[in-house]
Amino acid sequence: MTDASAGSEPRARARPVLSASAVVRTFGASVALDGVDLELHAGEVVGLVGANGAGKSTLVAILSGALAPTSGTVSIDGSPVRLSGPEDAAAAGIATVQQDVDAALAPDLSVAENLVLDRITRGELGFLPSRRTIERAARELVGDGFTLPLRTPVSRLRTAQKQQLLIARALGRGARVLFLDEPTAALSITEQRALHDQVRRLAAEGTAVVYITHHLGELTAVSDRVVALRDGRIVGRFAAPLDPAPIAAAILGSLAGPVRRPPRTGTAGESVLRARGVVPLLGRPGFDLELRRGEVVGITGLLGSGKTELLRQLVGADALLAGTLELDGRAFRPRHPSDAIAAGIGFVPEDRRSGAEFPDWDLAQNASLADLRRHSRFGLLDRRSELRGARELIEALRIKAPGPSAPLSSLSGGNRQKVVVARWLAARSRVLVLDEPFRGVDLAARADLARLVRSDTVESALVASSDPEEILEVADRVLILSDGRLVAEVRPDEVDEESLARLMVAGLDAPAGRTA
Amino acid sequence: MTVADRARDLVYRYGLLVLLLALIVFFASTEPAFGTVRNVLVVLQAVAITAIVALGVTISLTVGGFDLSIGSIVSFVVMVTTVAQVYFGLPAWVAVLLGLAAGALIGLINGLLVVLARVPDLLATLGTMFVFAGFALVPTAGQSVAAGATFNGEPAPGRIGPDFLWLGRGSVLGVPVPVLLMIVLGVVVSVLLARSRPGRLLAAVGSNPEAARLSGVHVGRVKVLAYVASGTLASVGGVLLAARLGRGDVSAGSPYLVETVAAALIGFAVLGANRPNGFGTIVGAVFVGVLINGLTMQNVPYYWQDLIKGALLVGALILSFSAIFRKDRT
Ligand SMILES: Nc1ncnc2c1ncn2[C@@H]1O[C@H](COP(=O)(O)OP(=O)(O)OP(=O)(O)O)[C@@H](O)[C@H]1O
Ligand SMILES: [Mg+2]
Repeated sequence: MTDASAGSEPRARARPVLSASAVVRTFGASVALDGVDLELHAGEVVGLVGANGAGKSTLVAILSGALAPTSGTVSIDGSPVRLSGPEDAAAAGIATVQQDVDAALAPDLSVAENLVLDRITRGELGFLPSRRTIERAARELVGDGFTLPLRTPVSRLRTAQKQQLLIARALGRGARVLFLDEPTAALSITEQRALHDQVRRLAAEGTAVVYITHHLGELTAVSDRVVALRDGRIVGRFAAPLDPAPIAAAILGSLAGPVRRPPRTGTAGESVLRARGVVPLLGRPGFDLELRRGEVVGITGLLGSGKTELLRQLVGADALLAGTLELDGRAFRPRHPSDAIAAGIGFVPEDRRSGAEFPDWDLAQNASLADLRRHSRFGLLDRRSELRGARELIEALRIKAPGPSAPLSSLSGGNRQKVVVARWLAARSRVLVLDEPFRGVDLAARADLARLVRSDTVESALVASSDPEEILEVADRVLILSDGRLVAEVRPDEVDEESLARLMVAGLDAPAGRTA
Repeated sequence: MTVADRARDLVYRYGLLVLLLALIVFFASTEPAFGTVRNVLVVLQAVAITAIVALGVTISLTVGGFDLSIGSIVSFVVMVTTVAQVYFGLPAWVAVLLGLAAGALIGLINGLLVVLARVPDLLATLGTMFVFAGFALVPTAGQSVAAGATFNGEPAPGRIGPDFLWLGRGSVLGVPVPVLLMIVLGVVVSVLLARSRPGRLLAAVGSNPEAARLSGVHVGRVKVLAYVASGTLASVGGVLLAARLGRGDVSAGSPYLVETVAAALIGFAVLGANRPNGFGTIVGAVFVGVLINGLTMQNVPYYWQDLIKGALLVGALILSFSAIFRKDRT
C-alpha cells in the first residue's frame, strides 16, 4: 500500500514514523514493560536487545497493534493512535515477523496462501480465488529468489522454512515500519546474511526497521543504533560505532559474566555413543560419529544439511535409515524415544513448540515429565517435590518466571526454551542430544546452558546449531554437514566464525543439485 | 488484574456451583417434594450411572479423544448381563464379569481402530456405536429380556437374581449402591487423573502427542488404555442400569451419550480447572440430574427432555470452549 520509496529523500530527523511514550504493560502482577520511550525514524535500523523476558516481544506486540498497552501512548507520524489489531497495523504500514512463527501462520494452508493471506481475506484476489491466481500473487510478492515450494502446506515446513516464509511475507509488503523479532533464530549463516542485505536495502529505501537478536555480532553488523531493555526498562542506548562489550554489560546488568566457552576439563574418555555408517538423508554415503565421555560434539551446516534428520535417528525419534549404533560399546537400537531415554539420552527437538512444549501446563509440570517416577510417593505424584525440583531448575538455569506454577504459555520465548532443556537435566540424562538449543536464548542463558551441558551429571552432549558463533562457543569438536554428507571436522581453536561459515558454504559447492 | 478480570475469573470458577445451588433452592421452594431425603436419593441414584459413565468420557477427553460409543456400550452390556442370566441361567457374578469384559473389549476395539488403523476418534467410535447398538438387538431378535421370556421357542430357563438386582436397588447404611460406587470411582478417577503418573501421561498425550512421544510416552498404548478405561466405566454403568431396571430393555443406554458428554464438558469449568477432571464431571452429572429431575417434577413433559439436554450440551460446549472465560494468552 504505502510507497516505501517516499522516504528516500533525506527527511531530516523530523517526526518519528512510529513512537512509544511512557508505555507500561502488565500481566497480572508481573510488569513486562515499565515506562518505555522509543522513537523510530524512517530509514534507520534499530537493534533491540535484552535478556529473555526483558520485554522485547511485548514492546513489538504493542507497537504493532497486537497487544494494548496498560498505559502510555503509541503514535504514528506524531499523532497518538489506538491500533486495535494486526489489520490496523498493516493498514498503517507496519509489518511484523513474529518470534513465535507458528502463531503467525495458518498451518493447513499452503505456502502461497499464507503469503497472500491478507489479500485473500480482504477479497482482493476475488471471491474464491483459483490456485493459479494465488500462486501468481504470491510469486509477485516474493520474487524469484524465494525457493520454498509454494504448494506445500505450512504444517509440513521446518521451523527455519517457516521463518523464511514470514520474512518474505513481511518484506514483500513494502512496509514503512518492519519489526523482526529474532528473525534469524532458526536460520543459518547464508540466510542470515541475505536477510541483513535485504534489511539494509529496505532501510535505504526509507523503512524503519526494528531488529531483535541475541547475537551481538549480528546486532552490530545490521543496526544503526541499539536500544537495550532490561526488566521492562530501557537501560542503554548506543550509537555507531557499536561496540559489543558495553552492550553486553547493559543487557546482563549485574549478571555480567564470562560468555566464553568454559575451558575443557581433562581429555575425552572412552566412547559413549558411537554411530557407524549413518546417513542423515537417504542416498548419501554413510559416515561414522563418536561421542566420548566428557566431550561436547557440535554439528553444524546450512539449512537442509541434515542435522535434524541425523539427531532424530540417534534418539529413536525417527527410524534409523542406515548403519548401526552402539552405546557404551553395546549394540543400541532405539525403536521409540523411550528406549533412548531409558538409556540415559535426553533429546531436545528443533521445533520446540510442537515437539516439546505443553503450553497449558505449568512450568513444573513441563520440567518434570521425564522424571515423574522420582516425584512419586506410594504411586501418587508429590506436588511439593515436583515444585521443589522446578525451583532448583529455575535457579540453575536462571529461568525468568513468576514461579514454578506459572503456565508455560506465559513465559517469554527464551525462557520456554530453557524449561525444555531443563526437562532432561531434571531426568538426569547422561547424554544430551540438543537440536538448536540456543534458539532464542539470551547471552547469559547460553553460557548457563553451555556450562550445564558440561555439568557432572552429563557425560557428553551432541549439539546441533546452524550458528557458527554458538557452535564454537559450546563444542569441543565440530562436524560440518552439507547436503546429508559429512564434509569436515574441525576444532574450535583451529577456526573462527568466519572460516567456519565459509566451510559450511563451501561444502555445498562440491556436490551439485541441491533442491530447495 | 482488573476488577473485570477478577469478576470473570470468579464467574468461571464458581459460577456453575452457584447455579447448581440456585437450581436446587428454586426447585425445592416451588416443589416441596423435591427437597425430601427420598427424592435426593432418587436424584443421586439416577445421577450415579450418568456420573460413572461420564468418568469414562472424562478419561477419553483427557487424551484428546472422544468416545461416541459409550451409549451403545451401556445398551450392549445391559443385554449381555440380562441375557446371560435369563437365557443361559448363569449366576449374577458371571453376568457382571461378562458385562465388564464386553465393555473393556469394545474399548479395546475403539483404541485399536484409533491407534493401529489410524481412524479418527469420532469416526471410529461412531462406527462401533452403530455396530454395538445393533449387536445388542441380535441375541434377542430385538426383544427385551425379562424372566419368562421365550428363548428358541421355549421359556427361558433363568431369571435375574436378587444379588444382581441389589447392585442397582440395594443400599449400604442407607446409601444406594450405585451412589456408593459413584463416590468410590469418582475419587479413584479424580486422584488418578490429577495426582498420578498415569494420569499425567494421559494429559500429556491430550495436550501435545508429539511432545509426549519425544518425552518417552508410548502415545498409542496410552490412548488404547484410555479407551479401555472408558469402555469399562461405561460397562459398569450398563451393569448398574440392568440391575436397576431388573430387565434387559433394548436401547436402554442410548440417552447416556448426551448426558455424559454434557456432564464431562460442564466439568471442565468447575473450580476453573479448564480441563477434563473427575470432580467436575461428578458435579456436571449432578447438575444434569437435578435439572432433569426438577423439570420433571415441575411437570415439564418428558418429550421436552431431549431438547433440554441438547440445549444443556450446547451450553456446556460454549462454557468449555469459548474464549470468553479464558485468561488471554498471547
Ligand atoms: N501473556 C502473558 N502472560 C503473562 N506474562 C507474560 C505474557 N507475555 C509476556 N509475559 C511476561 O512479560 C515479560 C516479557 O516477556 P517478553 O516475551 O516481552 O520477553 P522478551 O524480551 O521477548 O524475551 P525473549 O528473549 O525470551 O523472547 C516476561 O517476564 C513474560 O513472562
Ligand atoms: Mg521475545
